[in-house]
This record gives sequence, C-alpha cells and structure tokens, in this order.
Amino acid sequence: MRRLVKSALLFIAIGLAIYAGVYYAAEQLMYRTGRSNPFLKIAVAQESEVDWLVLGASHAMPLDFAGFNAHMQSETGLRILNLAAPGTGPLYNRFVLEHFLRTHRARNVLYVVDSFAFYSRSWNEERFADSKLLRRTPFEPAIARRLWAYARDEGVDPRAVLDYVSGFSKINNRERFERDIWEGERQFDRVYPPSASAVKKRIAYLYPDQTPAAALSRYVEEFSTLVATARRAGASVVVIKMPTPPQYRSQLPDETAFDQAISRLLAARDLSFYDLSQTLSDSRFYFDTDHLNRTGVTEFFARDLKPILVSAIGN
Amino acid sequence: MLFTSLEFFVFLPLALLLFAALPVGKRWVWLLLASYAFYGALRPFNLVFLGAVTLFIWGCGAALQRATGERSRRLLLAAGLVVVIGSLFAFKFYDFIAGELERLAGEAFGTGSAISLPRLAITTPVGYSFYAFSAVSYLIDIFSRRLPGQQSAGQVALYLAWFPKILAGPIDRATNFLPQVCAGLRADPDRLVLGLQLIGWGLIKKVVIADNLAPLVDKIFGIAAFASPIDLLISVYFFAFQIYCDFSGYTDIAIGVSLLFGLQLMENFRRPYLSRSTAEFWGQRWHISLGRWFRDYLYIPLGGGRAGPVRQYLNLMLVFVASGLWHAGLGYGVGWTFLVWGALNGGYQWAGLATRAFWSRVGARLPRVSNSLPLLVLRVLLTFHLIAITWVFFRARSLGDAWLILKKIALNSIEIPSLLSRFPFTAEHYTAFALIAFLIGVEIVDERRSIFQRLAAAPVMVRWGIWYLAIFALLILGRWQAREFIYMQF
Repeated sequence: MRRLVKSALLFIAIGLAIYAGVYYAAEQLMYRTGRSNPFLKIAVAQESEVDWLVLGASHAMPLDFAGFNAHMQSETGLRILNLAAPGTGPLYNRFVLEHFLRTHRARNVLYVVDSFAFYSRSWNEERFADSKLLRRTPFEPAIARRLWAYARDEGVDPRAVLDYVSGFSKINNRERFERDIWEGERQFDRVYPPSASAVKKRIAYLYPDQTPAAALSRYVEEFSTLVATARRAGASVVVIKMPTPPQYRSQLPDETAFDQAISRLLAARDLSFYDLSQTLSDSRFYFDTDHLNRTGVTEFFARDLKPILVSAIGN
Repeated sequence: MLFTSLEFFVFLPLALLLFAALPVGKRWVWLLLASYAFYGALRPFNLVFLGAVTLFIWGCGAALQRATGERSRRLLLAAGLVVVIGSLFAFKFYDFIAGELERLAGEAFGTGSAISLPRLAITTPVGYSFYAFSAVSYLIDIFSRRLPGQQSAGQVALYLAWFPKILAGPIDRATNFLPQVCAGLRADPDRLVLGLQLIGWGLIKKVVIADNLAPLVDKIFGIAAFASPIDLLISVYFFAFQIYCDFSGYTDIAIGVSLLFGLQLMENFRRPYLSRSTAEFWGQRWHISLGRWFRDYLYIPLGGGRAGPVRQYLNLMLVFVASGLWHAGLGYGVGWTFLVWGALNGGYQWAGLATRAFWSRVGARLPRVSNSLPLLVLRVLLTFHLIAITWVFFRARSLGDAWLILKKIALNSIEIPSLLSRFPFTAEHYTAFALIAFLIGVEIVDERRSIFQRLAAAPVMVRWGIWYLAIFALLILGRWQAREFIYMQF
C-alpha cells in the first residue's frame, strides 16, 4: 500500500508539472489572441492615465468595434479606454473599475446604463463565473485576490475563483486559436430588419427574472458604490443611455421604475445623466435588435457623444 | 449532481475517505446516506418517490418471503408489479396519451366537441425507469427464489439508490448486488486502479467524444427539413456515436466508481458497433443489463422460443416494442417514434431469425468465405447501418422528421460522393471524425484483448504516458458545461 501511495504522489507531482506547462502555454496564447476582455485591455494599456473610461454592458461595446475607439480619440484628442463587457451589470463593472484604479487613473468615467443589468444575478454575480470571460482574463494575483473578496462578500460563486486560479477555462478554451472578437463586432456593418418576435425573445433573455424591485435596489446600491469608488479616485462620472430602436424600447419592462431609481441616485450624487435612448430611431442604425452598427455609432458619436466627451474635459 | 460536475469530484473523494475510515460491516450504511445525498442533490423531492418505492418493494419482498401459499405469493407479486410498472407507465405516458386522445377526438368530432382530460403534470423523478426496473427484478427474483434469505430494508434501499447507477444504470440485479453488500465491502488496489481507468475512459467517451458530437447533431436534427442530405447523413453517423459514447460513458463511470467501493456491477456495453448482426448487437453488446432484463423477466416468462415459432416471433416483437416504450420519454420527448424504433428492431430480429438456418447452411458449405475478414467487415458495416437507421427514429422530433431524413438521404444516395467533395467541412467536423476514428481504433484493439489488461502489463512509462494523455485530453478537449447524460432523462 505504501508503494502505491508513493507512486500516486509521484504521478500527481509529474501531472502538476505538466499542468503548469499547459497553463503557461494557454496564458501566452490568450495574450496572442485576446482583444476585447476588459482585464486584458488593462494589462496591455500603454498609458497609465486616460481621459475617459467607458464602462457598461454590450450596448457600450460598439464604441470600440472595428477601430472606432481610435476614431473617437483622433476626433476628440482624448485618451479613451473602453472596458465594457457583454452582459455585465454594475457589480462586474465595479470589479473592473477597482482593478483598473489599482494601477491606472481615469479623469472621467462614462457609464452606459441598461435596465436589464440591474434586475438579475445573471448579469452580476453569475457573470463572474462565465467561462467566456474567464478564459480571456489574464492571470494576476491581484485579480485573484479581488475575485476571492467578491466571492466572500458579494455572493459570487467560489467556483469562479477556482476556475480563474486553476486556469481551467483557459486550458479548456475551445476557441483558443481564434481571435477574441465578440460576435456582435462581426456584424458591425450589417443593417438589421426589425422583427417583433426577435425583440420579444431578446427581452425574455435579458430579463430572466422579470423586474424584481429587490434586485433593482440591490444593484442600484452597487452602482452607487461604483460611483463612489470612481469619485474617490478623482474621476467624475457621466451616465448615459445608448440609443435603441423604438420597437425594442417599447418592449422594455418597467423602464419607468428603473429610470426613477437611477434618477434619484444621480440627483442625490449630483451626477450628469443623458438619456439618449430615443435619439436614433431608424432601423438602419442597428445591426441587431438593440445594438448600434457602424452607421449608428458614427451618427451617435458625431451628434451626441462627442459634445459630452469634449465638454466634460473642458469643465 | 452529474458525474461531470465539480461537485461530484468533491463528493467522490469525500465519500471514499469516509468509506475507508469505517469498519467493513458499517460501510453500506454510509454508502446509503451518500447515495441519498447524491440523488437528493438533483431535486430533493425525488427522495420521496425513491423512499416510497423502496419501502413498498421491501415490504412486498418481505411478505413474499414469509408467504407460503402459491396463491398469496402470486397476489403479492402481482400487487408489487402493478404498482411499480403502473406508476412508471403513468409517469411516462398518461399525459401523452391524454393529449393524443384529445387530439383524436378533436379531429373526429370537431373542436366544439373536443374532450378535455385531466393531466398528472408530474415531472418524472430522474432515473425512475432504472430503479423501477431494479425493483421489478428484485421482486421477481424473490418470487422465483433466486434471492434467498431475508434482506434488510437498508440494504434493499442501497440496492435501489446506489448512486453510481441510480440515474442511468446498469440495471444491476439484486442477486449480484446484495450478496456483495452482505459480505462486506472492501476496496483493493487492483480494483481501485481498474475503477479509476474506467472512470477516465467513461469521461473521455462522454465529455470529449459525445459532447463534441452533440452540438453538430442537435443543429441538424433541429432543422431536418432545411438540412442538406450530406448534413443529415453525417448527423445520423454522428448521433450513432454520440448516443453510444454518452450512454456507455455513463455506465463505465458507474462501474468504475462502484469498483472504488469494492462493488462489481454487471457489464453494460461490449463494443456494440463491432457486432456482426443485430441479434448480437442487442443480445450481447448493447445495454446488456436491459437486454437481459427483458430476456429474463419478459421474453422467457412469455415462453421465449419454447412455445413454437409463431409465439417466438410474437414474443420477440413484444420485447422490442416494450423496449421502445421504455425508451420513450427520453429527452427527445414521448412520441410514436419510439414505438417505431422498437418495432423496427423487432423486425430486424424477425429477419435474422427467419434467415438463420439459411446462413448456417451457407457457413457450413463455405467456411473459409464465411469466416473471412472482408465478409466480417461487411457484416459489421451492414449491422452498423441497420442500427443507424433505427437511431433516426430514436433521435428525430417526430415520425415525419424521421421519414424525411431517411428519404432525403436515400433519394440523394447516388449523388452523395459528388456532394461530399463540395461539402464545406468545418474544423468541428474534422475534430468529430478524428474522435470517432480514435474510438473505433481503441475498440478494435480492445476487442482482441482488453486495453486495461494491456495497460497493466505495459511498462510504467507507457502506462503513465497514456494516463497523462487521457487526463490532458479531458482538460483540453472536454466539454464540461454540465450537459446531461441522454439516458438520465428517462
């Protein structure tokens, strides 16, 4: 039996050594193919200070599709870093912001709010365990520690920490050789014909728990903490709602309650809020049910966003 | 808790540690508790069904062992069978039959006169088909005095609830299981190593092969009407290997986990796609525990082949139709497709039986030809294709879909070679083909002499090298996103 135990220990030791090699290779490959993950963007950011840090869910992502961020920077002369990630609510964005502020500085934070992200754990606590996000997040002890703190204090699944630390999602990544491009970016130039059934399906997907008031107050509180964190670091916060098509907007459940809750918070914190959701109604501006395409982003930037970005810096 | 979940990889070592720490005589109590915890973790309410069936079956069994009169024994057996099989039938079919009756009434008498039947609307407890069949075998084995002595309620509960097999088998017999438990469970290093190897191989079949084939199959079977004949043909092949790897992967893990605790469950699969006939496929190689269950508890009691050729044909068909009914309610829904699947397999057995004497004569006259490798390969390929046709009915969403798939493939069969050259194969297709080729290679090698025996005799460098390859294949290629085992959905 003793011999069996010795053999088992040696087998495990060799296995762990091979695992370490595979982990290292997966991490290197992730750096070569990575692009849109917020933590990777922070890790490879060349400047330690930006004028604008963009946070939010997928509606904010077209601002960084196909080189559009570089276009915005050249048009405004500002340094902009977009750390939005698909399906992420205020809790995940706070996590991103806190890590960013550890080594970087932002003069302003542009937060793109979406009501769906304030109504469900799916877009907050559960997002931390999403293998699609984890497999593109570089390993850093600081992220691991912060993730553990979120598991301990914020109800994030401890399996997310285990996955992150062990690098399992990275090693097991089926798209390990593909460039990390969100599926929406591949459709950036598309024009989407409106479809009532697609909108209905999309709304059902975005609001899996409907609109519970308790969730709203919980995530508004998280958002408030995010704002406080940004302010403590000397950044001013501007909150916007991105344009969405009327067919989508009209189907949003209980948007008024969300608007009221956010308005109360923003008024109390003396924050700027721009509801731009109704500024682009034509379907030619969207590549799917609710995301701006290249034409839409170009129009939105020139007409609405650029003045906001520039004027805030001027102040 | 799935065998492929992180929770299971925490649960199993803990269960083993406590098992090893306990005195041999008490170990089964711990295994019973662990089994209930495992099963209850899926849905706590499931434990109510399991507990009720266990108490009822144990009570029936104890009464059967005490009863002396043949009439009372028969009555007790009948009561037990009616309750277990009746509940299984009700869970599986009542709502489906009620719906079909309403539809037929609506068609016959118009929607105005349509009837409305109440529904059970009960989610069938996961694995119920499996432990219900184990319960039936327990009762019949007591009735026929194959299981002597008085069993304790706890040990009967462990037999029904044994966590590695409760969700998808194998449908082990009490005559095999209970004597091992009564004798005291001991793990030894040889069984431990064999158990771990079986778990590893089962996981490779499930998460590397079956779950990599599944998305390709699901996609095409979901749009059968719009899919090209090549897509359909490839999906039919892929499904044949998906269901094999999914199900046999599960039972390999179940048998392997049982070995870790010193329990030997019965074999369930023996390289089925190397069968030379559909009779060999069903009789000796595929889902052996179910095949033997039907043989021992249905076919033989009905008279088997002893009551003349007409009864034999009838009994065979009955067994396969019953098997089809048992398979209904799988994740692909309850429907007529399963009845056709069973009847088609029954038809194959008829054809095999009708031509058996002819082939025996041919074999006797041309022994060199009948034992030649090309003919062997031809027979294996023919059997595989016959079985693959039946899987279309098993997997399709409706009879219409199944028929459409077969028709599209058959009508375009001449053009398939030219269509193949233009088909846009993807990396996923090539990966799937490579995995299937690997599986077939392993099975051919294993057919000559067990891979595990070969491994045991190999130098340590080779053995460890293969284990590391297997472990890292699981880590790198496996799909671990908690996809259920197909047969768990019964």
